[in-house]
Amino acid sequence: MKPFLVLTFALVSLSAHAADLVKDVRARLVDAPLVRGRFEQKKSVAGFKKPLVSKGDFLLARDQGVLWNTRTPFASTLTLTRKSLSAQQATGGAAYHLDSTKEPALAAVNELLFALLSGDVAALQKRFKVEGELVGDKGWKLELTPTDAGLARVFKHIHLEGDGYVRQVQLDESRGDSSVITFEQLAQTPPPDATEAERLGK
Amino acid sequence: MANKLAILWALVVLAVGVHQVRFWRSASLDTDVLALLPEDEQAPEVDAATRKLADDAGRQLVLLVGANDWPSAQKAADEATRVLSEASGLLEPAVVDTSTLDQAVEFYRPYRDRLLTPAQRQWLAKATPDELGGTALMKLYQPAGAQLTDWNADPLGLWQDWWQARAAETSARPRDGRMWLSGEGREWVLLMWKSKVSAFALGDGSRVTAAVERARSTVEAAVPGGRLVAAGVPLYAEAAAAQASWEMSTIGFGSLAAVLVLVWLTFRSLRPILLVGVSLTLGCAVALTVTALVFDRVHLLTLVFGSSLVGVAEDYGFHYFAARQGKAPSERGPVMRALLPGMVLALVTSVVAYLALGVAPFPGLRQMAVFSAAGLTAAFLTVVCWFPSLDTGALPITSFSERFSASITRWPRITSTPLWWGTGAVLAVLVAVGLWKLEPRDDLRQLQGAPPNLIADQRELGRLLGLPSPAQFFLVQGDSDEQVLAREAVLKTKLDALVAQKVFAGYRAVSDWLPSEAQQREDAALSARAEGLAVAAVSESTGEAPTRAAFSQEPLTLQHFLSGPAAAAIRQQWLGTLGKAQYSVLMLRGLNDPKVLPRLEEVAQGLEGVRWVDKTAEISGLLSRYRRIMGGLIVAGYLAVLLTLVARFGRQAWRAWVPSVLGTLLTLAIFGWAGAPLQLFTVLGLVLLLGMGVDYGIFLLEHPGDGSAWLAVALAGVSTLLSFGLLGLSATPALRSFGLAMLLGEVTIWILTPCFRLPPGKATH
Repeated sequence: MKPFLVLTFALVSLSAHAADLVKDVRARLVDAPLVRGRFEQKKSVAGFKKPLVSKGDFLLARDQGVLWNTRTPFASTLTLTRKSLSAQQATGGAAYHLDSTKEPALAAVNELLFALLSGDVAALQKRFKVEGELVGDKGWKLELTPTDAGLARVFKHIHLEGDGYVRQVQLDESRGDSSVITFEQLAQTPPPDATEAERLGK
Repeated sequence: MANKLAILWALVVLAVGVHQVRFWRSASLDTDVLALLPEDEQAPEVDAATRKLADDAGRQLVLLVGANDWPSAQKAADEATRVLSEASGLLEPAVVDTSTLDQAVEFYRPYRDRLLTPAQRQWLAKATPDELGGTALMKLYQPAGAQLTDWNADPLGLWQDWWQARAAETSARPRDGRMWLSGEGREWVLLMWKSKVSAFALGDGSRVTAAVERARSTVEAAVPGGRLVAAGVPLYAEAAAAQASWEMSTIGFGSLAAVLVLVWLTFRSLRPILLVGVSLTLGCAVALTVTALVFDRVHLLTLVFGSSLVGVAEDYGFHYFAARQGKAPSERGPVMRALLPGMVLALVTSVVAYLALGVAPFPGLRQMAVFSAAGLTAAFLTVVCWFPSLDTGALPITSFSERFSASITRWPRITSTPLWWGTGAVLAVLVAVGLWKLEPRDDLRQLQGAPPNLIADQRELGRLLGLPSPAQFFLVQGDSDEQVLAREAVLKTKLDALVAQKVFAGYRAVSDWLPSEAQQREDAALSARAEGLAVAAVSESTGEAPTRAAFSQEPLTLQHFLSGPAAAAIRQQWLGTLGKAQYSVLMLRGLNDPKVLPRLEEVAQGLEGVRWVDKTAEISGLLSRYRRIMGGLIVAGYLAVLLTLVARFGRQAWRAWVPSVLGTLLTLAIFGWAGAPLQLFTVLGLVLLLGMGVDYGIFLLEHPGDGSAWLAVALAGVSTLLSFGLLGLSATPALRSFGLAMLLGEVTIWILTPCFRLPPGKATH
């Protein structure tokens, strides 16, 4: 669950990176209070010959949280807000819920996440060494290497690519597994519907 | 004969001198308040537990640096670390190393399948195959895998929760490479330091405290809302030492100066000053040596209390010089022989009274008793063995002593007149009302003289960090370690219900880190079944053939656990074998309300091998019990003293006895009127009063109409008053109430004794 948090803040925190490069990348990113779209995730896991592919959609609302809905190969939802992290399988049964008042680490990640959304550059550079380049007129690539011992326990590297939006994230885990997540059909509308708003309010 | 004694005593003094040199070179002084507390005769294992928990914290310094926001807190923590590092000869950082966590994870990895939380046990026992498969798939497809293991070593993602439950034992969490916590309106960084100085000696100065104070002011200046909270045994030890040095010099030198001034005023000669000085020095030196030999270590409070000895031990010298004044040097021997019976009687009553203090099983009191009894005896022996030989010259009567000696005839004397009866009746009423107002209090805090700011810091730190209480805990006993761990588990299920009701925050138990072997087997079977189903569901859904990782076939044993890196956090709670049984301590966190203690006590009832220990209540109970016992002892003591006095003085014995009894009653009445509580230590002061107050009466009866006896009694009274009066300044509440009781009692006895003197021209024998 925590790795997921890290991923999320990496996704949303592109507005905050090192030096000039950070400034340039930031200039190329759209400053959007809301981003929604589709994702495809290919995950290589030890013990599995083929990559595990899952697809779905997501919603990212600044100052509110993230909704991550997997559609295939099975339906499940993940909700991260200021107050909690919860996961639910659509067919019922499996579920878990973490409350940030009970697990302070979650509050810490959330707090960081929301601080970054509001453009706090300093925080991310404390946890990652940031390298990268600009690609063409609009694109960019970044490679993040954790400097924080806690994060280094989880990730070797995180690669990010994008233009106005983040288009691809590659997570190389310290234990050998890796995931590539690609985003498409990114848009700033429509605003959250009633169900989504309710989930974000949790 | 006299010469032989003098030489013999000189040899003893020489030996003491040698010991003193060695003692001060390697001063083993105790500052720990625990060392003053009574040992539990019935349950040595409770003692062992308390001491082990206290030892663990020996040199640690725990600091919380806080500020209004996290960046400021980090900046403030850096500042504090910088300032503390400047005292590198004194302090070193006790690294809260993240590698320790990695090592612990590696250590537990082979046993991952045997480590479940109670909630997981419940869930795994009733989860359907669908639910298990769904959870495993969900974990598998999450954007990043399990953080601690490969997917196949923990397909249901159970281990994270187990570690989270372990981490819940403290509220501090890793954040940006520091230990962080949030509370009471601030963000905090936890810093751990260690004092490099282990042995502790007087006059070292409060260097650790000074370093912490520098860090505190730096933090407060560095960031808005900056705050530093510090606690640790070194701080307490330094505060105790500083206080003790100050008190010892005030009491010791204060009474010494007073004694010497009195001697000078009375005798106008250097010789008495020197000799009385010698008797006092030897008294203190012998006292210290005997105490150090009888007990392993000498407690600081013993020295503080012992410095009041100066004001008591000078009595014998005063008596000698007062009697010897104006007589030819050749009469020294006869003078001493004439004084001897009275002096021996006085010494015996005083020593018996001091030793009676040691009846209560408080090691600190016993030290004080031995110290004072030995010191008094040594001063007495010095006077008897050496003074006649060393006091060679003439000692003319001074005008001061002449006038003073004559003053006894003008002192009021009680006779059977209406005025005296009336005064007596009024006094009796006042005393009766005062006694009726007197309230007992048996609070442990009377032993604690630590500065309030240290105690406040300690409380705040405990609250913020959720530290377990060292004074209340469960002691679990069993025939084997397996049984202890199993009994802990039974206790924990009962406690979980109370935690759920928020009676207290949680507990720390060895069995959380090392479940009993039976529990391990059960959990391993449970996880094997559930994870087998989960992996099967995943292979069906993905069309691949993943296998569940293999785990250790052997359970995690106590021996292996204790030698491993994971035991550091909990080791001090495993007491091991004491006598025939094995013991462990289960500690409680967030125990802030004394009202819940009876509910915890109830939990232990009916659980075999589980015992609730409430050190605070236990010691208060002990204080109360011994307050009563010592009270009874005083009554018995006064009767015994009366019999002794009757044996020597016959029908006039009451004249020496009544003043002390009246003095004791008046002191109690004054406490009652003033609203001061009656504590064990007040009562102990009265025990001592019994031994010393009678002395004055004895001397006046021994030498009726002899102005020199009155002179000696007066001098002795004034110096004793000063000593105990100064003890009343002590910051330790126990010593203060002791000193006050002595002061009040001595004053009244001193005033009353001459009122009960024999009519002129009458002798007892």
